[in-house]
Amino acid sequence: MKPYRANVMVCAGTGCVSNHSLEIKKAFEEEIQKRGLADEVQVVTTGCNGFCGAGPIAVVQPDGIFYQLLKIKDIPYLVEEHLLKGRPVPRLMYVPPEEKIHIPKMNDIAFFKGQMLVALRNRGMIDPENIDDYIARDGYRASAKVLTTMTPDEVIQMIEASGLRGRGGGGFPTGVKWESCRKAKGEPRYVICNADEGDPGAFMDRSIIEGDPHSVLEGMVIGAFAVGSSEGYIYVRQEYPLARERLVIAINQAREYGLLGDDIFGTGFKFDVDIRRGAGAFVCGESTALMASVEGRVGEPRAKYIHTVEHGLWNKPTCLNNVETWATIPAIIMRGVDWFTSIGTGDVSENPWGGSKGTKVFSVAGKINNTGLVEVPMGITLREIIFDVGGGVPKGKKFKAVQTGGPSGGFLAAELLDLQVDYEQLTEAGSMMGSGGMVIMDEDNCMVDMAKYFLTFTQDESCGKCAPCREGTLRMLQILQRITDGKGTEEDLVLLEDLSHYVIDSSLCALGGSAPNPVLTTLRYFREEYEVHIRDKKCPARVCRQLNVYTIDPNLCVTKGHGCGVCRAQCPEKAIVGEKNKAHSVIQDACKKCGVCYDVCKFDAIQIS
Amino acid sequence: MISIEIDGKQIEVEEETTILNAANALDIKIPTLCYNELIEPYAVCRICVVEVIRRKRTRLVTACNYPLRESVKVRTNSERVLKLRRMNLELLMARAPAAKIIQEMAAEMGLETTRFPIENPKESCILCGLCVQMCQDVVGAYAIGFADRGSKREVSTPYERTPETCILCGACAQVCPTGHIRMTDAEERIIHSKLSLGPNAAITIPFRQAIPNVPRIHAEHCIHFKTGECMLCSKVCPKDCIHYDDKDEIEEFEIGAVIVATGFDDFDPTPMKQLGYGRYPNILTGAEFEQMNNAGSPTGGKIVMENGEEPRSVAILHCIGSRDENYHKYCSRVCCMYALKFAHLVKEKSNAEVYQLYVDMRAFGKGYEEFYQRILDEGVNVIRGKGTEIVPNRSGAGDGALLVRCEDTLIGKFREIPVDMVVLCSALEARSDATDLARKLNISAGADGWFIESHPKLGPVSTTTEGIYLAGVCQGPKDIPDTVAQGSAAAAQAMKMLAQGQILMDAAYAEIAEEFCSGCRICNGLCPYNAISFDETKKVSNVNSAMCKACGTCVAACPTGAIAARHFTDEQIYAQIEGILV
Repeated sequence: MKPYRANVMVCAGTGCVSNHSLEIKKAFEEEIQKRGLADEVQVVTTGCNGFCGAGPIAVVQPDGIFYQLLKIKDIPYLVEEHLLKGRPVPRLMYVPPEEKIHIPKMNDIAFFKGQMLVALRNRGMIDPENIDDYIARDGYRASAKVLTTMTPDEVIQMIEASGLRGRGGGGFPTGVKWESCRKAKGEPRYVICNADEGDPGAFMDRSIIEGDPHSVLEGMVIGAFAVGSSEGYIYVRQEYPLARERLVIAINQAREYGLLGDDIFGTGFKFDVDIRRGAGAFVCGESTALMASVEGRVGEPRAKYIHTVEHGLWNKPTCLNNVETWATIPAIIMRGVDWFTSIGTGDVSENPWGGSKGTKVFSVAGKINNTGLVEVPMGITLREIIFDVGGGVPKGKKFKAVQTGGPSGGFLAAELLDLQVDYEQLTEAGSMMGSGGMVIMDEDNCMVDMAKYFLTFTQDESCGKCAPCREGTLRMLQILQRITDGKGTEEDLVLLEDLSHYVIDSSLCALGGSAPNPVLTTLRYFREEYEVHIRDKKCPARVCRQLNVYTIDPNLCVTKGHGCGVCRAQCPEKAIVGEKNKAHSVIQDACKKCGVCYDVCKFDAIQIS
Repeated sequence: MISIEIDGKQIEVEEETTILNAANALDIKIPTLCYNELIEPYAVCRICVVEVIRRKRTRLVTACNYPLRESVKVRTNSERVLKLRRMNLELLMARAPAAKIIQEMAAEMGLETTRFPIENPKESCILCGLCVQMCQDVVGAYAIGFADRGSKREVSTPYERTPETCILCGACAQVCPTGHIRMTDAEERIIHSKLSLGPNAAITIPFRQAIPNVPRIHAEHCIHFKTGECMLCSKVCPKDCIHYDDKDEIEEFEIGAVIVATGFDDFDPTPMKQLGYGRYPNILTGAEFEQMNNAGSPTGGKIVMENGEEPRSVAILHCIGSRDENYHKYCSRVCCMYALKFAHLVKEKSNAEVYQLYVDMRAFGKGYEEFYQRILDEGVNVIRGKGTEIVPNRSGAGDGALLVRCEDTLIGKFREIPVDMVVLCSALEARSDATDLARKLNISAGADGWFIESHPKLGPVSTTTEGIYLAGVCQGPKDIPDTVAQGSAAAAQAMKMLAQGQILMDAAYAEIAEEFCSGCRICNGLCPYNAISFDETKKVSNVNSAMCKACGTCVAACPTGAIAARHFTDEQIYAQIEGILV
């Protein structure tokens, strides 16, 4: 490989690509060519950088200068200044909201400073479509070590001792799972990578696969060696075409290099991976439903009284782990148990459930300054993630709650900000680790509405196989709808709680077993908000439109908007009257409270009371 | 074996036994909706949720499919379990308000109404999935399945069209706990011509007194023969008696005598269009009516119409196909008396009015005339005149949906009698294959197909072929006492011959001189007694001397003169002629 003086690492994660980062890459290349720097500077497309809110992103290495929110017209100037004259461009650098000072180096930015990269160890550093980049970063060394120097039992012992627990949400100790799969009777055995990431707002698995697909493959090779499998499947959801494409490239490259296939590293160990596409059902992220889907049957879960490690895919022993878990495995093998157990909470030397070790990737979204993907050590507090790494709530609004664990998780209120993030503590607080979605809410969010939002999702995604999930979530949603429509009663809250416990206790799979969590946690931490909706028929956050009364400030309407009439034209009920240049008004009896007027008024003349 | 405690009661069970089976063994009832012992537990209704306590940890599991692997305590009726069950029923009541079983279960739990809004008051499907599992996993037809998901989930056929793969087995309707699935063509309707209820069962004992009295599989109805799946019967049979590959077999016996007792065919009145049999409902043949009256019939021996109601009036028509120039000229001999018996049965079992339409009343046997008198005393309307036509009673006048037209020859008037049901006393006729059999056995059959005995007075059971005897209706219409008498006689004749151990042969029979036989086989076809066979290895014909009757046909036909009749050789004949002339 030819050495370059500088590398421009252009983020080609999905977020940046949709903000034209590929055109920016092209612009870089053209400009560099024009300036005659083609021999000195290389442009590399990397996987997701993580700081999605600042995209499109380019990092100039080896200095680690971070440029954000790039536009094509910035590129010639940037190339001339930085790459030709050696003067970094401050105006394209990151500025923290509170300090107004440019931060040139990526690692000095708070968002990156607080993170610890294990599963995402190669993010932004390699071209995901080039296996040499991965190998250059010590890739496939772990699998080489395992295959040439270790026995399967040693591998399992190591993973067990590391205390690694399933990153897909359940938190089942990975080593214990591998061991039972190895011991289970039946041939052949299968390993599966669950990349059917379906939680709204979660994109950890996608980023790992898009940014570093080989780490997943390497983890699977190690897992296959440990459990004694020669056949693996990666179940990628249909909505991740880029992830699938990069996986196909990675698999082909690995096969070509002899890192997958019949005779890996010349040891005679045989393992190959195939990709299966999900068809968009959330429930297929559940292991038994996923296996049914891989088999070609309808993706519906079954009772897990007989474990999938014994009777999984095609009734054979099957070891299924999440993308992030697989990606973490090579790091543990290379850096050792002591390093891994030094990160995180609790003690796993006796009991594999005794603590949460290592790091966890979270996708931080919602009302937060630094939207993006973060990997933090277990045991970090919510406050550190949200305010230090995440940069706090924008526009000076008040933090209200954080929703963790996706639609299966729960809402945690401000008083729990100092909660240490690990499997046990989150579960105790009524939420769960889940796959790592984190949605931040501020004072403008109505908690009843948010609970309704997540329940709408699970209700819609319920496969309908078992009665509690099918019927229970439907009725819960109906009750929440009643409450947000101002038709709720006190008894509704009791019924809602009863239903929640019923659905959790009786459902067939974890989808139903956790679907009421958003409702239960909001009832636990924000009961007052429900009561206001029921008692006063008011939504404090003004989100529940049926409870809002829309009026027009005549002063603003005339002085600022000159009676523009947009609201009158847009109102589907013709409930707004007025003439040009004169103040408009709402006929309350005709108003259906759709809120269109509020959305279209550019002058804030429409008010909610 | 592991020991389990369920609701305080102890039991030892095999490992992997489900809680439901263990509870059943203890007579503890756990309610179920989606469970059927013939189908792998689907565990979706969740009504059987129970508490399992293991090392002080309580878990909620479904009893139907939770396999017991270690010593645990189970509670099937704790407050928590009952609360969940009540909520479950309340939700199902809202979903399927028309499902009776849910209402009953809810009432048992003390629930009267549901707190949830009812969207469709007529809905009765609870989505338990039994029908789908039955169709897919057991029957293997894949004619129904689930469509859509979540609360929009429903049982449906592919693209909501009539599925081509449906084999009309009715298994889905059979397992449906709420009666949501029904067979539209078979609602408790009695199909008289087949005398079966609803979809035809693939395994039946033909009728109660059938011999042998064992069930048999009808391949044309059996799911296994259509899809290769199912085999539920073999799963439930404790003695492994079910054989799917059983086939008809041909066995060969060496026997010394044959008694032909092949019986008769029932005359099919369908071609007599004027009688409307097969076109209008509630017109039965005598055999069908008799089967309906059997206590083992689908009607349980009751006389009912297709709609399940009792008829208000019944007409019994004599001489259908008998004594009829167009069909059979002979008298079937048994109809008069069974018709009288039917009249008696109708009178005994129902309040219906009975009309007997006869041509001549032939009550010839012992006690028969007295029985006829008894029928008259019971108030049966006896009309002398042949029923000529049956039509629907469109005017609706009188007690009957059908009109029977006849000429009452005693009063010399044409009559129309309204009745609800008609019994056609159809003729006995020779079996359709009687002439084939006659040829095989080398016996003779008359123009009507009845086998001909060797002598109408002196040999009523024997035939022209030695060792072959006749018994019963195959020889001509007769009733049960006559049949029994003839059967006994035939048996005695056969026994007499068998007891001798040998038969006395006639000295005269044909012989073939092998050295002159050209193997032309002309004689083979000519022998009226099938006594000549062809020896393929020697390429010559042989005469079976025991079968030969010395008729001489072959002798006359043999072109080479190889055949000679013993004691009637040419030389002997010539010598005799010479003796006469000299």
